[in-house]
Amino acid sequence: MSIPRYDLIVVGAGPAGLCGAIEAAKAGMRTVVFDENARPGGQLFKQIHKFFGSKEHMAKVRGFHIGEQLLEQAKEAGVEVELNATVLGLYPEHEVTVMKEDGIHHYRGANVLIAAGARENSLPFRGWTKPGVMGAGAAQTMIHLYGVTPGKRALVVGSGNVGLVVSYQLLQAGMEVAAIVDAAPRIGGYGVHASKVTRTGVPILVSHTVLEAKGEEGVEQAVIAEVDEHFQPIPGTEQTLDVDTICLAVGLSPMNQLMKMAGCQMDAGIPVLDENLMTSIPGIYSAGDAMGIEEASSAMIEGRMAGLAAANRIGFLDDASFAAAMAQQREALERLRKGMFAPENRGRTDLTETDEHIPLSQTLLKKGFVTERELEAFPGYTHKVGVHPVIECTQNIPCNPCQDACRFGCIAVGEEITQLPAVQEESKCVGCGMCVASCSGQAIFLVNEDAGEDKATVTLPYEFLPYPEAGARGAALDRSGKPVCEAEVISCKVCPAFDHTALLTISVPKAYAASARFFREGAEA
Amino acid sequence: MRVQEHPILGRMNTGKEVRFTFDGRKMTGREGEPVAEALSANGVRIHRYTSKNHEPRGIFCAIGRCTDCVMVVDGVPNIRTCITPLREGMDVRTQDGIHAKEAEE
Repeated sequence: MSIPRYDLIVVGAGPAGLCGAIEAAKAGMRTVVFDENARPGGQLFKQIHKFFGSKEHMAKVRGFHIGEQLLEQAKEAGVEVELNATVLGLYPEHEVTVMKEDGIHHYRGANVLIAAGARENSLPFRGWTKPGVMGAGAAQTMIHLYGVTPGKRALVVGSGNVGLVVSYQLLQAGMEVAAIVDAAPRIGGYGVHASKVTRTGVPILVSHTVLEAKGEEGVEQAVIAEVDEHFQPIPGTEQTLDVDTICLAVGLSPMNQLMKMAGCQMDAGIPVLDENLMTSIPGIYSAGDAMGIEEASSAMIEGRMAGLAAANRIGFLDDASFAAAMAQQREALERLRKGMFAPENRGRTDLTETDEHIPLSQTLLKKGFVTERELEAFPGYTHKVGVHPVIECTQNIPCNPCQDACRFGCIAVGEEITQLPAVQEESKCVGCGMCVASCSGQAIFLVNEDAGEDKATVTLPYEFLPYPEAGARGAALDRSGKPVCEAEVISCKVCPAFDHTALLTISVPKAYAASARFFREGAEA
Repeated sequence: MRVQEHPILGRMNTGKEVRFTFDGRKMTGREGEPVAEALSANGVRIHRYTSKNHEPRGIFCAIGRCTDCVMVVDGVPNIRTCITPLREGMDVRTQDGIHAKEAEE
């Protein structure tokens, strides 16, 4: 019996695996990707927010669109993708066993790329097994792949990017979010992700944890409490929230079992890799979350690097072409890995200022919004006559689509994509709103501080249905989500270039030009 | 609850409607969606009861990993409902330990 052979066997058809397979197949390698799921794309098809980064990282493109593009590229390159195919084992001489519907099959790869992704961490607490407690990713799967919400009102545990993004997505699907709690004393994810949730009225409670899920046959209530510096609940601080869903967003762990099984050298659950992402076993590579939790943007680059390296290792790519292609990918990865959320800054609590030496907003880290006073120090937060962009982007995160969005060069991020965007003094704003729609963090607003008749107008990014109609009345909410004044809708613009980010323009009393940042139809101030 | 119109994803739940039963009760869902999602849309949260302590369990990971959502489907126990596509006429039953719960007529 002969074992089918491939030049590259990839485990996992997510962003890392697909990108690795694409590079290998483009180099002429016979490449197969095995994935246990019925659909390819890993978690990309559940990611409906606009990605960060720059053009080379597919910034401002929504995750599921990136997934579609990768599948198209894989098909063009001639990658075989086998679904419902679970890789069970990785043995000497790169032998791979795969369980399919009809039994277990053996394969051999000249190279193997482990891009198996990650699993969601769990958090045990009283009642955590009740129906209604689930992974944040589970809620995302239910809503975005199948259009079914897990409940009506949720508590989200964890304020990393997953917790913040999923909270926003629950709101987009029509659910309510009672609160986001995090035992850490600071919000873990991007400030802009926190702010877009906070301004809708969802409180983010740091130094808080969930104590208990209550309910007879499923979650009906959640008990939360404040924790002390040792993460111990403080008696007397308990609060009971009426929720039917508790989403856990308490981190991810690499799916590293195959590498352990094969005997790859590991360090605290992370495979030891060389600069080409090869493990201690020649020809076995790893990329994406399987080799260390990061973002999908970096997973894609790592996948490409591993694919290129595998191609070079067995002679499908000459050294010079390899060196050039690899250098390009390495630079792209380095550009993503800068700023306050860079891997080397993970868990740091001593950062007090931005790279530009502006004090970091402490309110943002504690409560999820920046105060007006804190904003005044930032280069994107300007006051001008007439309509102009107001950029409330205050942390060094790798992202620069706003810079390219303005045809008139109104916004500059600069050389490093982690630099803070600055509104150029001399430039002219025509009020087109492209910058508002292009900001993956929804941190850009168009403001006219004096629109006449003692009114100001504020244009904000809006991704909820139904879209308010012109003339609709309600309340303007400030950055903390508190209704502050009456507001009337001037317009709600939707166009293909905005990619489902509507531009909602509201009229508010002049005094609220700098504080009105969200709109709730029918609400009273 | 089913999302009819999503601000980013547009119209959802447009698949063909199929009929199935849950513990003998007639329900409808979308063809090919996971059984778990069809149940959730019908307001069903309990998929099984544990054998020792008789505690209810439901959807936890929704991607076929945790096995919390297993049920008896068409007479076969331990079926991961979150990755099992719904088909016309399916007989889905709450799992009690490793057996099907008695049907309620």
